[in-house]
Amino acid sequence: MNAIPVLTIEDVATLDGVLGDFLKKTEASLTVVIDRGGNVISQCGDMDVMDVTVIAALAAGSFAATRELARRIGEVEFNALYHQGNGNHMFMNSVDDETIMITVFGSRTTVGLVRFYSTATAQNVANVLKLLRRTSHGLKFDAKDITASPVFADHS
Amino acid sequence: MSIINYASREIQFKIVYYGPALCGKTTNLSYIHQRINPLNRGDLVSLATATERTLFFDFLPLNAVVIKGFVTKFQLYTVPGQVIYNATRQLVLRSVDGIVFVADSQWEKMEENVESWKNLTDNLALQNMAIDDVPCVLEYNKRDLPNVAPVNYIEYVLNNRKKRLQSFEVISSTGQNVFAALNAVSQILLHKFSKQSEAPQGAPLPVAIPVEPGTAEAQRLPA
Repeated sequence: MNAIPVLTIEDVATLDGVLGDFLKKTEASLTVVIDRGGNVISQCGDMDVMDVTVIAALAAGSFAATRELARRIGEVEFNALYHQGNGNHMFMNSVDDETIMITVFGSRTTVGLVRFYSTATAQNVANVLKLLRRTSHGLKFDAKDITASPVFADHS
Repeated sequence: MSIINYASREIQFKIVYYGPALCGKTTNLSYIHQRINPLNRGDLVSLATATERTLFFDFLPLNAVVIKGFVTKFQLYTVPGQVIYNATRQLVLRSVDGIVFVADSQWEKMEENVESWKNLTDNLALQNMAIDDVPCVLEYNKRDLPNVAPVNYIEYVLNNRKKRLQSFEVISSTGQNVFAALNAVSQILLHKFSKQSEAPQGAPLPVAIPVEPGTAEAQRLPA
């Protein structure tokens, strides 16, 4: 049975450093690294802007949906997607086969700048995650650490 | 498979409600959204057509403290049941940790139930997973309708295997056994997770620290 990958405090600090540097250079509001199943791996920036969990689920869906479009023109997938709003915009780019990076930005910056810096940032994030998957720390839980009572209650 | 974030003490699990078209998957999520403590849930996101048929998926994030010292995030998804949306079902199944298979108990829906179950096993196989590897429970929904098949018959059709899955007689419109099925799949996946977790090799073992009373995380605990 495979061990479940664990992001240690050091891993999170490294990712925060990479993403923080990216936000500083681009002046974007928020960046989130997610897996293609929609789970949040790391996030940096103004979290009050939106519900990151929902953004991750929808972005993973959006990225996968455009894969079929890409196939129609002979591509495996689109490496990057850009959603343009009136004031806020979203840029998504592929980090590796398992991971996507989402950046939310406003009028203080441009899509060109975000796109330019996202390439190197994605590479740095990919390197951290590659190491993480290879070393595969485990985390020990005993059955007694898990609650025996029902997880969710119906508030009738 | 999600990643455990040791820094924020978060673990994420993905539970997918699977089943044929119009079997009540979205109704399950709507009921859970209505009845769960608002402090423990996010928004219910529904990507549906104008006629309220699920187009892409429904999504409901839930929080709980079920593993000592960790905030556990359960992400509930439904798949579109209509046959043509198989690519979307494959996407939603990606990295799945637990499945609630919702069967429609009506006689005339048995064939669709079987087809959907086969489609589930086929789609899991594409991810190199087998149904026996994934925590899964069965819901026999719409038990309040007059033309339902007996539970023994549905068990024979859908649950006829050496190691039977836990099954529930459900009326998702009134909420009967909706939480029972969700709690059952949650417990099965948590215990699978505790078996799956391994001690690190060569690295010091991280210690799970309980949530301090009075903190924001402790306040999110269910009463």
